[in-house]
Amino acid sequence: MFNRLKNRVLTSIVPDIPSITPTPSYSIGRPLPEKFQYQRPPFLQLLTPDELKASADHNVRPIIVPRDVAILPFCAGYAECVNSGKSEWNEDQAAFSMQVLHHPSKDLPDLPYVYFGIFDGHAGTGAALASSLQFHHILHEKLVDIIELLLPTNANESPPMFPLMFHKTVSKDELIIGALESAFYDMDAVLAEDRTKYRNAGGCTSVVTLFILGKMYVANAGDSRAILAQRLSKEMIKMQADKPYSNGVKSDSDDYQIIATPFSFDHTPDTERGRILSLGKVHPDLMGGEYIAMEYAKKPMTKDLGTRILYKQGNMKGWTYKTLTKEDLKMPIVTGEGKRSRLLGTIGVTRGFGDHDLRAIGSGLLIKPFLSCHPEIIYRDLSLIISLPDDNNLDGEYGVLIMGTDGLWDVLENETVARITFETLKKYPNEKHRYTMVAQELVAKSRGRANDSGHWRLSDLKAPATVDDISVIVIPVYQYYKEFCEWEKKYFEAQQRREELRNAAISNNKAMNSAASINGDASKSNPIIDNDEDDDEDDEVEEAKEENSTERDEIDRALEKINLNDGNSEEPSESTA
Amino acid sequence: MSYAYLFKYIVIGDTGVGKSCLLLQFTDKRFQPVHDLTIGVEFGARMITIDGKQIKLQIWDTAGQEAFRSITRSYYRGAAGALLVYDITRRETFNHLTTWLEDARQHSNSNMVIMLLGNKSDLESRREVKKEEGEAFAREHGLVFMETSARTAANVEEAFIQTAKEIYEKIQEGVFDINNEANGIKIGTVSTPPTSPIGSNVSGQSSNSCC
Repeated sequence: MFNRLKNRVLTSIVPDIPSITPTPSYSIGRPLPEKFQYQRPPFLQLLTPDELKASADHNVRPIIVPRDVAILPFCAGYAECVNSGKSEWNEDQAAFSMQVLHHPSKDLPDLPYVYFGIFDGHAGTGAALASSLQFHHILHEKLVDIIELLLPTNANESPPMFPLMFHKTVSKDELIIGALESAFYDMDAVLAEDRTKYRNAGGCTSVVTLFILGKMYVANAGDSRAILAQRLSKEMIKMQADKPYSNGVKSDSDDYQIIATPFSFDHTPDTERGRILSLGKVHPDLMGGEYIAMEYAKKPMTKDLGTRILYKQGNMKGWTYKTLTKEDLKMPIVTGEGKRSRLLGTIGVTRGFGDHDLRAIGSGLLIKPFLSCHPEIIYRDLSLIISLPDDNNLDGEYGVLIMGTDGLWDVLENETVARITFETLKKYPNEKHRYTMVAQELVAKSRGRANDSGHWRLSDLKAPATVDDISVIVIPVYQYYKEFCEWEKKYFEAQQRREELRNAAISNNKAMNSAASINGDASKSNPIIDNDEDDDEDDEVEEAKEENSTERDEIDRALEKINLNDGNSEEPSESTA
Repeated sequence: MSYAYLFKYIVIGDTGVGKSCLLLQFTDKRFQPVHDLTIGVEFGARMITIDGKQIKLQIWDTAGQEAFRSITRSYYRGAAGALLVYDITRRETFNHLTTWLEDARQHSNSNMVIMLLGNKSDLESRREVKKEEGEAFAREHGLVFMETSARTAANVEEAFIQTAKEIYEKIQEGVFDINNEANGIKIGTVSTPPTSPIGSNVSGQSSNSCC
């Protein structure tokens, strides 16, 4: 009876109500609620349960793009489509965030940054959903922590104080990479904590891109992927022959070649065999006596016991002999090859968030100890790019960053994705939705179409298309860099003004020191000082004089009280007073 | 809200003929004079009553631009009804009907009900396509025809409801295999009379917070 009830309830939940919280349960123990109600990325504006339901039509697999293409930064493109029925809902999620980091002294422009993330969920929708809604908040806190160390300095100003605070020289790159890495750890920890409060969330992969300080950082854990697609003039390629571009070079005309450079590496049991075999070797207890942390050149058989067999263990790159024992007949910790490889015979991805309760099929062993939430990070300093985009090549050497879940990459090679990208951009030379069109085209190509028997095939109707969820983000990198350059100009102008102000204040202070009377209004000598702050300013200056402390320190303090109106940078702020 | 059936519709036709506006008028009862170009697909839904039965319409509004045609083609699959729209003030949108119809017939299930709509009937002074021409085209191709105005809402309700009636009749005649969702028809989850006291408890979908 209870089963029947449960089925009724389940079937009534699944078709029409995206998610109900909490689900009534008739089993023992109190059911845990979902942390977040299921939804698609908010920027798609699929607001009603009806729209949500229609977007998850497994027979048609509609390609969903943002209603308002300008909602994403730089008019970046986004498109997604649901799987062909392997799970009720699309388990991929995506997110972006445009934020600023406030300058601690408030007299310089805030530092803007942009973040994009793609999360491919498995064994539930919770982990990917939570990551898409929470990761950027965690990252933001990490960046706020280091803002003082990140801000650009000019030559006159003393460098940030970290060389004094740390024993090692710490670069800004390392700080940003550290922020990303620790945000990955924290996100995984959040999901671990949530286990007692919310329903099992499953797990997810994570690839995120952070644009900050004129650089692009791509952090990846799992088998989603980012590539940089570039259309370069042949001349440029010759000039940069030493750069490690991938070799899949396609010619799109006589003058240009299309290049796909990986910006992440997939983490599967196959690619991470070394890490997993080492872990199993050092901590055999994690394998519960059920698995063997070795790789064999040929499958060990009972009849071969006592004979020699070629094997690898730990991080070995090559093969060596051992005598086959009974121990070797256990299930290898990693089975299969490539995309079909499995960890503990169960999961095909070895990094990401969540999966804290995932157990191996058969043995019931916990898998999490073998998984990692540590991201690999690849970054590029966009200021080092020398060729400027032109009318013929709007994205130039900066290229287009494509982030996608494995639904895309399982059926399309990096080079094919790059080629489709530029073919599509060519068709939409000026439209603001040109990058959305690229995303849509990539999803359409990898989804393919259903043949008469309902199987999804690539456009030639022969090769199988993906049956997985597909999500793609297409980012015009140059658009970010352009905005950054404008910001940087503004920032240095403000910094210069601050410097001038400081010098003026110093000379003013000196003048005051030498003068018998100190009634002169400091702000009059400098038009940029906000009149509202005049009194404070005078007080501070007076104090500085009276206390006879070091001139510079006091003036710095005084200056902290001066608010420069950076939005109004061309004019002295006096005019607004 | 419970329903007896769900019908899936697709709205097709050239760009700018008013597909999105028709949908908005039908689902929200409002008119938006300036509408962004639809890229991709948008969804709408509304409940109607036919023969005393609640029927939910799930409507897919597609992009009309030529460039989107191949993607739009994949959306015919699993549609029970199609609204084929042209603009009575632009002859070329009428001339393209044959291509649209070929697409629709080729990629949909053969029982799909197609309704031909000549939209913007409020712009009488700019009319380029006579009503008789629309009627003739519909007759020739076995379609139902109406002239509509998304602006004034004239015939908008009727167009969507008439299509649903045709589908409903086909169900009654046993033409549609309603157990195959690929036909664009789904039987509702509820509205069957309770067979047991417990059954009646769970059938009230959204009120299951009792435990």
